[in-house]
Amino acid sequence: MQRSLRTLLAIATLALGTAAHAEKVTITVSSFPDLDRGVKAAIPGFKKLYPDVEVKLSSMAYADHHTAMTTALATGANLPDVMGIDMGFIGKFAESGGLEDLSKAPYNATAQVSKIAKFAIPAATNSKGALAALPVDIGPGALFYRTDLLQKAGVTEAEMTKSWEGFIAAGKKVKASTGAYMLANATDIKDIYIRAGLKDGEGIYFDKAGKSLVASERFERAFDLTRQARQAGIDAKVSAWTNEWSEGFRRDKIAAQMMGAWLSGHLKNWIVPNTSGKWRSSQLPAGAFAAYGGSFYAVPAKAANKQAAWNFVQYLTLNKDQQLEAFRNMDAFPSLVEAQTDAFTDQPIEFLAGQKARQLWKAAADRIPAVAVDRYDAVAAEIVGAELDKVLEQGKDIKQALADAKSGIERRVRRK
Amino acid sequence: MKTTPSKWSQPRNWAPYVFVSPFFILFGAFGLFPLVFSIYLSFHTWDPAAGLAAMEWVGFENYLYALQSDDWLRASLYNTFWLALVSGLPQHLVAMPLAYFLHSAFGRWRNAVVGTYFLPFITSSVAISLVFSTLFSKDFGVVNATLASLKDAPLLGALMPASNIDWAQPQYTKWMISFVVFWRYVGWNVVLYLSAIQTIPKDVLEAAVMDGANSWQKFVHVVLPLLKPMAFFAVTLTIIGNLQLFEEPFILTSGTGGIDQAGKTAAMHMYSVAFTDGDFGTASAIAWLLFMLIAVATWLNNRLLGQRD
Amino acid sequence: MSTSTRFVTASPASVPLPSHSPLPAPAKKRPAPLLLLGYAVVLLGGLLMLMPFYFMFVFATHTNSEILSVPPPLWFGSAFMDNIAELLRVLPYFWNNLGWSTYVALAVTALNLFFCSLAGYAFALLDFRGRERLFGAIMATMLLPGFVGMVPTVLTMSWLGWMNEHRALIVPGACGALGIFMMRQYISAAVPKELIEAARMDGCGEFGIFVRIVWPLITPALGTLGLITFISSWNNFMTPLVILRDMDRYTVPLALRALQGTGQTQWGAICAGAAVAVVPLLIIFAMASRRLIDGLTAGAVKS
Repeated sequence: MQRSLRTLLAIATLALGTAAHAEKVTITVSSFPDLDRGVKAAIPGFKKLYPDVEVKLSSMAYADHHTAMTTALATGANLPDVMGIDMGFIGKFAESGGLEDLSKAPYNATAQVSKIAKFAIPAATNSKGALAALPVDIGPGALFYRTDLLQKAGVTEAEMTKSWEGFIAAGKKVKASTGAYMLANATDIKDIYIRAGLKDGEGIYFDKAGKSLVASERFERAFDLTRQARQAGIDAKVSAWTNEWSEGFRRDKIAAQMMGAWLSGHLKNWIVPNTSGKWRSSQLPAGAFAAYGGSFYAVPAKAANKQAAWNFVQYLTLNKDQQLEAFRNMDAFPSLVEAQTDAFTDQPIEFLAGQKARQLWKAAADRIPAVAVDRYDAVAAEIVGAELDKVLEQGKDIKQALADAKSGIERRVRRK
Repeated sequence: MKTTPSKWSQPRNWAPYVFVSPFFILFGAFGLFPLVFSIYLSFHTWDPAAGLAAMEWVGFENYLYALQSDDWLRASLYNTFWLALVSGLPQHLVAMPLAYFLHSAFGRWRNAVVGTYFLPFITSSVAISLVFSTLFSKDFGVVNATLASLKDAPLLGALMPASNIDWAQPQYTKWMISFVVFWRYVGWNVVLYLSAIQTIPKDVLEAAVMDGANSWQKFVHVVLPLLKPMAFFAVTLTIIGNLQLFEEPFILTSGTGGIDQAGKTAAMHMYSVAFTDGDFGTASAIAWLLFMLIAVATWLNNRLLGQRD
Repeated sequence: MSTSTRFVTASPASVPLPSHSPLPAPAKKRPAPLLLLGYAVVLLGGLLMLMPFYFMFVFATHTNSEILSVPPPLWFGSAFMDNIAELLRVLPYFWNNLGWSTYVALAVTALNLFFCSLAGYAFALLDFRGRERLFGAIMATMLLPGFVGMVPTVLTMSWLGWMNEHRALIVPGACGALGIFMMRQYISAAVPKELIEAARMDGCGEFGIFVRIVWPLITPALGTLGLITFISSWNNFMTPLVILRDMDRYTVPLALRALQGTGQTQWGAICAGAAVAVVPLLIIFAMASRRLIDGLTAGAVKS
């Protein structure tokens, strides 16, 4: 009698014990710097909501990460439960079919999509209409400039941003009176111009049928403006993130930079912390609205713990506190509209002389067109960039360069 | 007396096969499949992110495209050969006399000097990329600063460029990359040649001295010919390594290949076709074309320097 | 004495016990000016070799903004501990990574030393049918460019259940074609065939001949092969990239690269990590160079 009771107790304890342990799940999140900082920041808050889920982060360098993810999708082996994806690769990954369609059950994200910045959703939607990922941060484009240098040259913000010609003219004035360059690189103009003025659903390099759009007026004007800027001598000919680039800021040689809103964080933290108060942000010239990058999170179709993974993705992308946390500490502009309209947005930014720039950036984010993404965008960007170099460095004719770009793209993308 | 034992019962007849079997077993398990897979893949079109089922047969189209229409492949092949020659020749032409000099004239310091020359080989390429891009920076780099200060030197001054060299410009990018590759591997070749010189018996060299040979003659007539087998080995490695050159140019050009593809090697192009274009099929075809080129180069090397036995 | 294309023109048997000190210098007189020039050139070259390496260590002791400034720092700074702290903050498993890299590299090296010298010996000194063809086949496998095999490798490993395991990094590379090539070259030059015959007649087994006769004679080559195998395994990052998923299992190159952020890269931390990571390589180099540079210990053969 005693023995069977004890056995019964033992079995019961065991059963309860295993039942309790059966809840504990570990999910792997694959990401890359600096996006992974958001994951690290999110883990404590997530643990409070879901105490039985253990989150393991694995980070690799940006290129390594996407190479590893491509291989993982190719073979179905070693896939994480949550995959971080950058704007540069989202087209390819979304199209691959290896990511869960979040618009379907049990995710039903379509209902949540309205809470997210409108323009970022199409990038994550593939040609079959499946929503392969959710945006976690966006990079509304902004122009940052040195108020003291512009003042010395007698240039106003309105004059500079009225039109591209106005921008170039302002650049000449600044160069003449202060010796500073208006642009780190003339190609920055091309990058913005080809994205400006697009309507929702249009692609940058390809149309819906997959034909390349580069031999068009939009690209011609972009190339022409870039060449004008180069010939006017207003660009420093340096690439972003190089020694020359950061040193250019330090030596007051670069007066303005067009980039994602997050640049202010970099300027403040390590590039030119001692110039606090001398900078201001404005919208991009000529009413252009463009996005500089952006990041997404997806759940692979072959992931092991999809429910827990989805919970984490939701936490990162739809939880207001987490989005604000990333905004506050990492300058990651939230994709969640609710976080964009938080009181935090109205706070003045000391580095920008008290400007309430976040309001500006939010306004920009609202007006960025929902550009369609193509899986060959990276190829086209490479070829167009190469041709532009030839125009700038070797004096190649613009129409010829674009024609060559078009045939080059068609050759490389020959499946279309 | 006894019947002749069967050939195969004698260990000396089957032992060799056992000794070489580990390679073939491992190759069969891990090397054969990738080989066959990549050949198979080169006849298909495949975007890897889409998973295994997405392969489509296209026959020779990838090869034809690579040979006829891929202008970036041609440019990268040119770059690869250029880099192989300009960084490869000095590696050996400098390493051989240097090894001999170290062997004969350095005594206690030899190990330390060889160690110094060998350091580049073992340094991490991530850190090296930063250091070299800092050193070669157009306005702020030590290299340009040195060249500028040399302008005042009597003879060399005339050779110095008038203004700071922008190493990112296509005409200079290749020289920069060649220098880094040379820097990285010359010590390795010194070590190889030094170990070969060690095997030359002392009496051979002493006999030459007794015949009245001076240092230089000793080097040219005695040491060099005896170095030929090691040269064959070392040059083969250089050929294979340089024709597959990926890491140094990739890191020095931040993965882009430089302006006008000046720094893009064939291996880099293959990588970009695979991961940027998302076209593993063509990448495999390029890999096999590259393989054939390397095979030809190695065969040529064999004719020139190989042992006849 | 003919200068044939073989390393050795006379068998070691006829050479008196060779010393391994360099050529005896003539009685101490003033060294010739040409010699001095030679020393100067070598010294300059040495500085050139050393410079980037030196800068790596210097950068490891500076902050990011100090590194990316003009002129770059030329002497050591004080930020080393800060950089290490940053390194460990981003890569909390860095010491694990070092350990794994060392373990994998040592294992691969040990296996290669054994298997490659065994195969190299067979190709160099043993007669068997198909010898040249088999060797040619092995050489041909060296020519394939690396990453094409990435996807099939992952498939194989996943089928074997070796994903995320370090044996996936060790086993496939346990007997490299390069090592066999090198050992064959060296053994055919350094070990005379007569020795083998003599040992056989003394009743030594085939494997015994290898262990007792050949192995002791190939020390310099073992040193060289050990060194390059260790280094190439240490620096290999393509395979670990696709095989390893957990950060505490990464090898060092993978881990160091994870410090490169989009935008701001922690160069100080990377250099600090690289400086720490180079120490095992320096140790291995010191160990190997003693064996390989100190020359042959060709024992006299009592024939």
